[in-house]
Amino acid sequence: MRKTKAPAVIATFVVCFLFWLLLTWSVKPQELIAGAVVSLAAALFSARFFIHEKAFWFANPAKLFTGLFYWVCVFPCELIKANLHMAKVVLGGCKVKPGIVKIPSSLESDYGRAALANSITLTPGTITMEIVEEEGKPWYYVHWIEAESDGEEAGEAIKGRMEKWIRRFWEK
Amino acid sequence: MKTDLIVFAVLFGALAAVAMIRLIKGPTGADRMVAGDVADTLICCAMILFALYSGRGIYLDIAIIGAMLGIVDTMLVGRFLEKGGKK
Amino acid sequence: MLMWIKIISDVLIACGAFFALVGVLGILRMPDTFCRMQASTCVSTLGVLGVALGGLLHAIFVMNSASTAVKIAVICLLILVTNPVGSHAIAKGAYKAGIRPETPMETDDLGRDSE
Repeated sequence: MRKTKAPAVIATFVVCFLFWLLLTWSVKPQELIAGAVVSLAAALFSARFFIHEKAFWFANPAKLFTGLFYWVCVFPCELIKANLHMAKVVLGGCKVKPGIVKIPSSLESDYGRAALANSITLTPGTITMEIVEEEGKPWYYVHWIEAESDGEEAGEAIKGRMEKWIRRFWEK
Repeated sequence: MKTDLIVFAVLFGALAAVAMIRLIKGPTGADRMVAGDVADTLICCAMILFALYSGRGIYLDIAIIGAMLGIVDTMLVGRFLEKGGKK
Repeated sequence: MLMWIKIISDVLIACGAFFALVGVLGILRMPDTFCRMQASTCVSTLGVLGVALGGLLHAIFVMNSASTAVKIAVICLLILVTNPVGSHAIAKGAYKAGIRPETPMETDDLGRDSE
């Protein structure tokens, strides 16, 4: 069983308390105190499931700006392209050629791997099905609606620009 | 002035009803769950638009809870299928 | 000015409705289970984003209500963050439960490696 660490508890507490503020939408003292007690209890019991690495890794303006740029500019671009392609497939009735391909990646931290998997799943046309680790590198099994190539080539087509930005944000 | 919002809300509700066809017909459990997930998301959207139309915030709270519970039942069915449930 | 904001918000909501229509039609028309999952992602990305952006503009400029705007943003973020987790779980579960397309997939690396 994992041990509960103080930074993880603080980060979980902040998120829970913000959510409480949002749902109640008032700043009366008794509501604030009740919210603080409840979120502290929730954070103490559940922090060890949520945060395994450094809790405040993004406390760095340059890094924060990179992440914001990725989620506001780069990723929506990819999203719109993939969505238009999916609209063409569904409305125009193009033939699909589904298949599961295995693509390599070179990310190291758990956060980066999870973020890349979620980004791949969130673009219509690709779903991450499994991640395995071989020789210290993660390999993604991706269900792809147009499986035309395999290996590195498929990896380039699926990940596109996303992996570069994710590495810039999450690693070092 | 606000008629457009209620028109879009009804449209989203109708789309959710269309997604129900797959939920009734679907050959496998995964198909039904995907259709249910989509219907849940569409009802959330309809609820946002209806809250804007009626000007009452209570519908937004319901939409938040709907979005939170949607993920729970999807995960539940996914885990059930993974651990060897029936098709 | 207010008129233009109303028009922009309507256009955004209409874009969301279009992509939601694409997703629902995809669920009905696609040939097998995994392709239906791919189409359903359309609804929860650009469908929700369109409605949420249009609703945000409406809530900020027409209704002047901060709590409504923040709640709409949270609903949008919640759906965008949790949806990939759910569809990943469903896809993996469906594959493990032995659900396969009727015409076999040409490249199936997961099936090849797990034998």
